[in-house]
Amino acid sequence: MSDEEKPSEEGDNIETITVQSTRFGEFEVPADRVITLPSGMIGFPPNQRFVMLDHKPPFSWLQSLEDSALAFVVVDGFEFGEDYKATPPIGDKDIDLTKEDEYALLVIVTVRSDPQDTTANLKAPIFVNLRNMQGVQVIYDNPQLSTRFPLWASDEENDEGADSSEEKK
Amino acid sequence: MLILTRKPGESIYIGDRIKVTIVEIKGNQIRVGIDAPRDERIYREEIWLQIREENKQAAEAAFATDDALEGLRTSFGKGKSKGGGAKKGLAALSGTIAKPVAPAKKSESSEGGPTVIKRRKRKKDE
Repeated sequence: MSDEEKPSEEGDNIETITVQSTRFGEFEVPADRVITLPSGMIGFPPNQRFVMLDHKPPFSWLQSLEDSALAFVVVDGFEFGEDYKATPPIGDKDIDLTKEDEYALLVIVTVRSDPQDTTANLKAPIFVNLRNMQGVQVIYDNPQLSTRFPLWASDEENDEGADSSEEKK
Repeated sequence: MLILTRKPGESIYIGDRIKVTIVEIKGNQIRVGIDAPRDERIYREEIWLQIREENKQAAEAAFATDDALEGLRTSFGKGKSKGGGAKKGLAALSGTIAKPVAPAKKSESSEGGPTVIKRRKRKKDE
């Protein structure tokens, strides 16, 4: 665990760490909420630690502890419904996920200047093993899963579920 | 770069755990078989690059987005919450709330093929 941890000042026994964030300033979160990605986000340095911050539902932020300017917008992958075939990486060495473990599924959102162009990366979500708070970004080979699944869609389109169209071979 | 010449059916070991076999050569396509432990991640390069690029864009775009997120909030999840709707999943991770999400157990139903996650049994948080 990190040296940044320190007891909270309120005198309860919850250990907290201080997070520096370009976006949200400085704040404290419980130390046991820290998520470690041993391999990092793809294209970013390994061994990065993050914390999840609530935003307006359904969005959350994944804020890096190492880089105050690095944050990702994420949504709960389970919100995409049953059509989103996100197989958990059982046996993954980074997160040691077993069939008994509970996990969270984070889908990264790319927000663009026109909200209607905002997309979710269904092809490469992050799994977090809740037992050890280790996370990994996986890549699915399934060509039906898009890196740019439009979040902004009419109700009819929504009904088609997560693996509809857009990236067909 | 180490360059080796192989014929179809011949293999190369990378360390003790990874075996790469030239399966077939057809025109300008080569089929490659890879035997590797399950915990080794294997990607097609172009897909890996695509994900890296998308991650970078997501990280950059995450800056000035309050308005954009505001606009999105209403459309996302509107027609999608067939599975139950309540947004408890990520609460398991947030710095403020703590509830677990889905048991990984369900994945045993299918081997190899894509698994449909249908049960999102999460612990009640209400």
